[in-house]
Amino acid sequence: MSLERLGRMLWEYREVLLSGIWVTIELAFISMLIAMVVGLLACFGSLSRSRILRAPAILFVEFCRNTPILVQLVWVHFAWPELLGFKFTAWTSAMIALALQSSGYLAEEFRAGIESIDKGQIEASQSLGMTYVRLMAFIVVPQAFIRMIPGILNQFVTCFKSTSIVSVIAVPDLMYQAQLIVTATFLPMPVYTVVALMYFLMVFGVSVGVRRLTLLLPNFGYFQTRKEAPAA
Amino acid sequence: MSFGAQAHAQASGDPVTISALHKRFGALEVLKGIDMAIGAGKTVGVIGPSGSGKSTLVRCINHLEPIQQGRISVGVNGTTVTARGVENAGRVLSQGEVARYRAQIGMVFQSFNLFPHLTVLGNILTAPVGVLKRDKKAMIEKGMELLGKVNLQDKAKTYPAHLSGGQQQRVAIVRALMMDPKVMLFDEPTSALDPELTGEVLKVIAELAIRGRTTIIVTHELAFARDIADAIVFMDNGKIVEEGTPDEVLGNPKMERTRAFIGKMA
Ligand SMILES: Nc1ncnc2c1ncn2[C@@H]1O[C@H](COP(=O)(O)OP(=O)(O)OP(=O)(O)O)[C@@H](O)[C@H]1O
Ligand SMILES: [Mg+2]
Repeated sequence: MSLERLGRMLWEYREVLLSGIWVTIELAFISMLIAMVVGLLACFGSLSRSRILRAPAILFVEFCRNTPILVQLVWVHFAWPELLGFKFTAWTSAMIALALQSSGYLAEEFRAGIESIDKGQIEASQSLGMTYVRLMAFIVVPQAFIRMIPGILNQFVTCFKSTSIVSVIAVPDLMYQAQLIVTATFLPMPVYTVVALMYFLMVFGVSVGVRRLTLLLPNFGYFQTRKEAPAA
Repeated sequence: MSFGAQAHAQASGDPVTISALHKRFGALEVLKGIDMAIGAGKTVGVIGPSGSGKSTLVRCINHLEPIQQGRISVGVNGTTVTARGVENAGRVLSQGEVARYRAQIGMVFQSFNLFPHLTVLGNILTAPVGVLKRDKKAMIEKGMELLGKVNLQDKAKTYPAHLSGGQQQRVAIVRALMMDPKVMLFDEPTSALDPELTGEVLKVIAELAIRGRTTIIVTHELAFARDIADAIVFMDNGKIVEEGTPDEVLGNPKMERTRAFIGKMA
């Protein structure tokens, strides 16, 4: 197949491909956002002193982390409607499954971040009369968040890659559109090669961006080491 | 021990009374019946070898460590730390009320524990504005004044990572003073500092922090303790071994263990 023919074919299917890319990006972002919220809640649940909160939170996190994304996807899409008694679209199933997967990892990431904060910070806050909620909100979580940024961004890359699986429940993402094009053109080699390149470029772009962002981490002297010993 | 317990009429600060205090970590008994009465505005220096329970004692006072037996009362309004928690008139206080109790007691740690994500000003404002709901403008003014007194007014916008240990500890002292505490607790405030930086911190403690407050200071700076303290307590192995005026305990110790300890420190 000549490059020219390939180019023409891509152009012909440009709208389909673009819509697939859009669905992929949309899924990755929205499920990541939801996962951040759910992950934070699960994290606080797993840190709670109350068993009633802690046990289900830990169970949830472990379940999310220890089931394959494909299984989660199929389970959410085919089992939840029957369990819950109402239907939702494949897109919603995909979003839920991806969010589940990421929230498990993020909850662990958040917990590790919070636990990495020196106990002295908590004691200093307590000695200043701060309640648990206040010291978490103003002292511990902000510091932990800075440490969590690389982990969150890594999970975003993972989530982005995981989106390619949603085509199995007919969510029209980039992978799904590629399959449609192959069905119509009988040209699996060029189509899948191009799509693989597209994924590569997107994920690579995100990864590079992520690394750049990590380097730009909030700069309030926290990560900087003192260059010169200041006068006492 | 009882030192100035019948406080002078104008004395400031809150009296602190500790009786029959026992503290255990699991099976390990770390405080084995501590009794102490510190009059309003008085300063007690606590000395003793490593592991004798000095930090634990101080941390029990603001209930950073729960106690198993005995009572600690701070002030005259009847707030008391017991094995049940912090109580007032027989009622166990809620977590929010315990936080309020702690807010009246300033604490300075060996490791400074400044908040690294906040500037110096942020560090000293967060509790008076956030916890005590004081007016922010007034607190900035007060904070700048106190920073001036510890020679750090030009560091207000600096992050702790850019300060020397001595500067960080002075900020930590200001952070505690911003709350207008009635009682100040110091746990080896200069032990983490290079020797050439201890002087500046000790000076701030003597001239600013303990004035008008009841103070308990754990320190290995015996000369300093002798200067500022009204009484010295020597602890070993969870007990008070010897107590008295600085001249008595540091100048003419009666107990062999005290003598050995002071000899080693000198
Ligand atoms: N959280 C804890 N859990 C278990 N044991 C503890 C804990 N904190 C302190 N201890 C033990 O309690 C004892 C007294 O400790 P503490 O820190 O009060 O001693 P210290 O007099 O302050 O010593 P130092 O001069 O080294 O600071 C030690 O044996 C210590 O190991
Ligand atoms: Mg100690």
